[in-house]
Amino acid sequence: MEICKVFFHLSVSVILSPLQNYPLYIRSVPSQSELKFHYTVHTSLDVVEEKISTAGKAMAEQRELYLGLLYPTEDYKVYGYVTNSKVKFVIVVDSSNTSLRDNEIRSMFRKLHNSFTDVMCNPFYNPGDPIQSRAMFTMVSGLKSDKCGWLV
Amino acid sequence: MAQCAQSVQEFIQDSFVPMVSVLCSEDAERVTRKNNLSFPELLRPFCRLTSEGHLRDPNNQVVVVKGLRISVTGVNTRSPNSGEVRKLLSQAVSGCQPPEGLPANVITAGDYDLNISDRSVKASVPWYSDWKEMLTQLSSSKYYTATTPWFEAYRENFLQSMPASDHEFLNHYLACMLVVSSREAVPTEQFLKLSQEQHRIQHSGEYTYPKWFIPNTLKYYVLLHDISDGDEQRADSVYEDMKQRYGTQGCYLLKINSRTGAAGPDEQMPDPWSQYLQKTNIHSPLYITIIFSEVDGLDLSDVVSEIHPLKLEQSADPGFPGNPSKAVNSADTARTQKQGSVTPGAAPTAHGACLTLNDHDRIRQFIQEFTFRGLLPHIEKNIRQLNDQLVSRKGLSRSLFSATKKWFGGGKVPEKSIAELKNTAGLLYPPEAPELQIRKMADLCFLVQHYELAYSCYHTAKKDFLSDQAMLYAAGSLEMAAVSAFLQSGAPRPYPAHYMETAIQTYRDVCKNMVLAERCALLSAEVLKSQAKYSDAATLLIKMTSEDSDLRSALLLEQAAHCFINMRSPMVRKFAFHMILSGHRYSKAGQKRHALRCYCQAMQVYKGKGWTLAEDHINFTIGRQSFTLRQPENAVAAFRHILINDSKQTATQQSAFLREYLYVYKSLSQPSNEGSLPQLPLPCVHSAQTRVFFGHEPRLAEGEKQAATHVWLDQEFDQEQAQLWAELEEQVVAVANRGSVHISFQPTQYCLSSHTENLRYPFAVVEEPMFVEVVFRNPLKVPLVLSDLSLLWKFTTKDFSKPQGGTTGETITNEKEAAAGKATALNDIISTEVIPEFTVGLEETKVARLKLLPHKTGELHVLGIVYNLGTREEDNSASEASQLMFVRGRQDLEIQGPRLNVTKEEKTSVRHGPDRRLDPIITPPMPLLEVFFINFPTGLLCGEIRKAWVEFVNVSAVPLAGLRVASTHPEFFTFGSATADLTPVTPTAAEHCSAYKTMVTPPSDAAVTLVSPAAFGITGDNRPTVVEIPLTGGVLGPGEALQIPLWLRGPDREGVHEISFLFYYEGLEKNAKLGHRVLRHKAVICASRSLSVRATACRSNTLPGRGKRDEREEERSGSMLVFVDVENINTSEAGVREFHIVQVSSSSRQWRLHKCINPAGDKDSKLASRERGKLCFRATRCRTQEATSDALEKYTFADLNLGNEQIVSSTTPCADFFFRRGPPSEPRKGGVITVGGLLRRQSLTPANSTDDSMTSIVRKCSEVELDIIVLWKAYVVEDNKQLILEGQLHVALQTIGKEACSLSQKEEAQEMVLLKFKPDLPPPASRPSLEQLSHLIKTCLHYPESYDHPFPQKSLCMVPVTLTLSNCSLAQVDVIIDLRHKTTSPESLEVHGSFTWLGQTQYKLQLRPQEVHGLSLKACFFQAGVYNLGTPRVFAKLAQSGTMCETSQQSAMPALIIINSV
Repeated sequence: MEICKVFFHLSVSVILSPLQNYPLYIRSVPSQSELKFHYTVHTSLDVVEEKISTAGKAMAEQRELYLGLLYPTEDYKVYGYVTNSKVKFVIVVDSSNTSLRDNEIRSMFRKLHNSFTDVMCNPFYNPGDPIQSRAMFTMVSGLKSDKCGWLV
Repeated sequence: MAQCAQSVQEFIQDSFVPMVSVLCSEDAERVTRKNNLSFPELLRPFCRLTSEGHLRDPNNQVVVVKGLRISVTGVNTRSPNSGEVRKLLSQAVSGCQPPEGLPANVITAGDYDLNISDRSVKASVPWYSDWKEMLTQLSSSKYYTATTPWFEAYRENFLQSMPASDHEFLNHYLACMLVVSSREAVPTEQFLKLSQEQHRIQHSGEYTYPKWFIPNTLKYYVLLHDISDGDEQRADSVYEDMKQRYGTQGCYLLKINSRTGAAGPDEQMPDPWSQYLQKTNIHSPLYITIIFSEVDGLDLSDVVSEIHPLKLEQSADPGFPGNPSKAVNSADTARTQKQGSVTPGAAPTAHGACLTLNDHDRIRQFIQEFTFRGLLPHIEKNIRQLNDQLVSRKGLSRSLFSATKKWFGGGKVPEKSIAELKNTAGLLYPPEAPELQIRKMADLCFLVQHYELAYSCYHTAKKDFLSDQAMLYAAGSLEMAAVSAFLQSGAPRPYPAHYMETAIQTYRDVCKNMVLAERCALLSAEVLKSQAKYSDAATLLIKMTSEDSDLRSALLLEQAAHCFINMRSPMVRKFAFHMILSGHRYSKAGQKRHALRCYCQAMQVYKGKGWTLAEDHINFTIGRQSFTLRQPENAVAAFRHILINDSKQTATQQSAFLREYLYVYKSLSQPSNEGSLPQLPLPCVHSAQTRVFFGHEPRLAEGEKQAATHVWLDQEFDQEQAQLWAELEEQVVAVANRGSVHISFQPTQYCLSSHTENLRYPFAVVEEPMFVEVVFRNPLKVPLVLSDLSLLWKFTTKDFSKPQGGTTGETITNEKEAAAGKATALNDIISTEVIPEFTVGLEETKVARLKLLPHKTGELHVLGIVYNLGTREEDNSASEASQLMFVRGRQDLEIQGPRLNVTKEEKTSVRHGPDRRLDPIITPPMPLLEVFFINFPTGLLCGEIRKAWVEFVNVSAVPLAGLRVASTHPEFFTFGSATADLTPVTPTAAEHCSAYKTMVTPPSDAAVTLVSPAAFGITGDNRPTVVEIPLTGGVLGPGEALQIPLWLRGPDREGVHEISFLFYYEGLEKNAKLGHRVLRHKAVICASRSLSVRATACRSNTLPGRGKRDEREEERSGSMLVFVDVENINTSEAGVREFHIVQVSSSSRQWRLHKCINPAGDKDSKLASRERGKLCFRATRCRTQEATSDALEKYTFADLNLGNEQIVSSTTPCADFFFRRGPPSEPRKGGVITVGGLLRRQSLTPANSTDDSMTSIVRKCSEVELDIIVLWKAYVVEDNKQLILEGQLHVALQTIGKEACSLSQKEEAQEMVLLKFKPDLPPPASRPSLEQLSHLIKTCLHYPESYDHPFPQKSLCMVPVTLTLSNCSLAQVDVIIDLRHKTTSPESLEVHGSFTWLGQTQYKLQLRPQEVHGLSLKACFFQAGVYNLGTPRVFAKLAQSGTMCETSQQSAMPALIIINSV
């Protein structure tokens, strides 16, 4: 399955499904340059995979879900998070936004993960389908409004 | 990563080679020109030395020089300026395309199989369905490396075009060859001249270029001898002279051109120049552009005019020794100019035509000699000199040296401080500066592959330069130090990557010299790659991308992408991303093919992974690039992909895609206008849902006339309905064929869809239209406009009238006509309807109906649809332009039949049957019937009789016969009996008349008529489902119409009824293809409640005795009382005011109503809403004399009118409907249940015969079989008009005492009847039931109602009572009469306790069939009172049967007698 990614304008978040890495959920705020984010997030999967494969061998069980900063680009910082079932979360934020600490990103991921779990618990959700959950939407919107500072 | 053909070491060595210049005399040039080559060109293939060279370093150590290459160029060869370089490089790149047709290189990276380069364009396009298969096939091949030859070409050209710079000496000339021909009059003089010339060029200061390595350049004197043309003796002697003068190591005699004339055509000579020529031509851009123009299809004229030969000469740098008199030395350019202008695109003329293999060897020998005897010793000497200089200077020591610099170098220091940053980059050392000497020595060492020494020198130089802040020099030294560190064999020190990084940074940021930075990066990346440091290499390469050169950025990004994919865990997605970036830069740089290739490669990663936005973008770009590269097929395919998939793009984006697609498509289809039309992707056609209809479009109702509904595309397919129609048709066909249905009978299908069975070719009739309904779906958010939409067909004419299947004509198709937009061109054969415009809204599914009208018989195949696809522009101003924006294309209708699943083979494999719905056979003309209904109601009261008219019109040109109609509800309608006069009264005239035939008669006894059911077309017990409609002469001629009346009777049940009529007809002459035709009509009748009639028959207890004789006679044979309860159950109080019971008739074979014995006074009983009335009648058996043999089959109709008008019930329509009434007790059941019923009936036949006969006798006794017809009138107010409606209700009385109802009772709990295949066991109790037996004997007590008796006088009162027994049955009955009170019953004690029967208390009698017997009894009373005399118990049994079935007679109703005491 793939990952879900959420992008916010300056920040995007995405959830991707575990195996084929197709996007389950992509949200980007604002949506103008969405294509660019798609490319960025897609590329970040390489790094995610690399991190998983190296960390996975050492401690498969107690692996930290939060992968930290995947890589910085000129304008954005890309953060990753992988659940035990290999669902990947990616958040891209504006690199000029210095107010976001690692802890904040981590809590954002945690919220995203909880929300994703809720979606999965929905009996009407067919695993593998793109997520179209309103709860998810408001949650992600909440993420950005929490931190208006780093949102445009 | 791109794999190079060379190893890294080779590559770096080849990047820095000793440079040798050539000065050539005119004559010598002429000699070489015979071979179409200049002297440097002549040498070029042989410039790599195959043997090892040796030299000694300053420490007297032997250095082995392996695989040395030298570069020989004309002295005036100048490095092109930056603009030219740029052009040159881009040409080199575009000229080098991935080879077509070679096996693709596949790299397996993780889950991805990437097909790199080569056929990637084809293989990676997403719609390339079996790409995966191909990839797996290819990946098993041996090619695992991805090559990027364009990058190598670029790199090579780039390095060669590097201008010589001051801070390094690597590409400065080390030596100069002076070439003189032996034919020269005085060669030595010529040598002198050339030598002076060389000196002038190097030292006069006139020329800034070329640059020379060392002041005393090595001069090598070459005497060129043309064997074919010169005196060898003289040449030898001149050479001897030269040896004297220059020493054996400084001169050479080169003999060439041993072949005279051209080579024989059969002789195969290797042409080593051909592979170098393109490389040669980097100095002659024109040649490459020509190749390029062939490859890329660019406009040749542009290129040529751009690089006009004149321009080259004009732009000649005055800094070059481009002396016109020395035109020979610029022969390179001249020759290629000539070649380029004369033979563009032609095969280049052969080189070295005058050279034999021996000559080649000689040249090789010459180079070797020159290098080992001349060049290497020269270098060795210079290294020693420089080393000595440095060592001697070292005496003063480095420290002192630097100290003096500090003290005396004040000139430099303030300079630096003024404008430090600016000037450090531009800082120049004088050529003799000691720092430069080190560098020079390092370069020399490097060139002769003494990397160890080179490294230490570079290192030293670097330190010096750095301390001087001479950044450019420092960077150069750093770069070379790193390279030589890498190249050191033995125990190499780790490659100092940071040196390179610093160098690149310095070059780029401080010196702003991108060219040097790029060279540095290229070298470093190559080194890093060789050490598997791919991510470092990628970073390096990506860093080098910048805005100033798109081509470089593109190439470097591509290389970076290749690095990503070569990492230990391949970063496929980064690869793809950088490929996209690279493709973007390529397209900016005008390298469209490379751009396309990059996008295609990236597509492999993105394809089918759900990244739709990215995928769409890539597809869009691929489409655009393909289009500009004139690969419209690929472009169309790419665009098609964007459009077909469920796109998440916005509407505007989609419309842009669509417009682009249309544009591309249009340009694609224009040239191939004559050929077959292309397939369009939009809108989606659901071919499986295609429906075909044969026949005319239904007419709407014309006034009162209502056309038969028939079949039309608007009707949804309904499996049940289809089944029903098929059954009806089968019935009517069976009747028409006298009971037999042909085995191959197939119900006629007018509308073919995915639900129907389409295995056979359907039949269509000539001159009758057929409609094809096509389902379109528009997946886009943009409305699509289809214009000129019509069908494509193929038609083979056949004349079926001839025997043996007729003659087959040629096949005609309208494809061409349709392509040209003239869809109507073949209208004389088949008229094709064209829909001018058809809009499919956004994301809409819409059907189009397309009509064909065949004019000839034959076989038709509908192939597909043809239309113009366009889109609607929003603004009106652009309407003109938008009109042009459409393309003509087709889509085929290919319908896959149902999957076969019968045989094992079919089950295991997936096979589909044929579907022939689009391939009709056009048959000769057939009659065509149209049916109209006039005054056909939509609502009726239950049982209401209405007269309507039906009109049959034969609209064909062929007579029609055998008209029949079948219906699911035969009781609903009648055309009247044969006896009824069919005088065609016009419908309007009959409007307000009663539907019935009436006679004015006062109410009296029943009028009786005897009627045979055969007169009403009824035979047997079955209701006729098929009715033949009589035609005058049996034929309805062409164009004729027939109007006949039609009576309708409202269904007995309320609610909405669908009544199906199937009209069957056939042509006069039997058509082999189409035996008959049918017309369907479905009427919907809403029945509302009218009256509910319940009737009960009772055996009358009156016994013969009184009355007239004939009456008695009648009664003797039996009489009944019939009670008829009529209730107005109509619910619409407003509409129906009241019901009048006009008449009650009976119809039966045995019984008839005799008399109305209603006590009520009013004869015309009215029933207002919810009122209930009761009527009582006496019924008698029909007279026996009437019951002749055939009268058994005849029905007696008896009419008892309550008003003054008698309705003759024995005529149409009353009797018709009577005979058509449904069997009341047996609800209509489905076919399955009938089967069960049949089985049961059969199983019953072999039952016990005695029991059976007994039962039947007993049953018969209580059977009645009397049908009551209640005729009523309803007064209805409708639209302020009072209407009188009439109707009739039927009640079938079957058993005495059982109530029958006009409404067939709701079948309670209609459980599922199990289908039983085992015959039921015959019911064990086949004896007549008690109840049945009780009807055997009728008893009646005759006694005075009251009896006066003076009890005081006489205490006992005796009353005579007659008990009359009447045997109702047709068998002998034994009767036992028991007068004893049943003492056991307490209740009887109570009631009867006070009287006793006198005399015999038990009688045994035997009654003959239908005998009446009176029995006199006496009752004795003791006191006055009211007594019930009904205590005698009567037992009856059939005489033949044993004692077993004695049973009690009915307990008689109380017979009360009043005993008065007087």
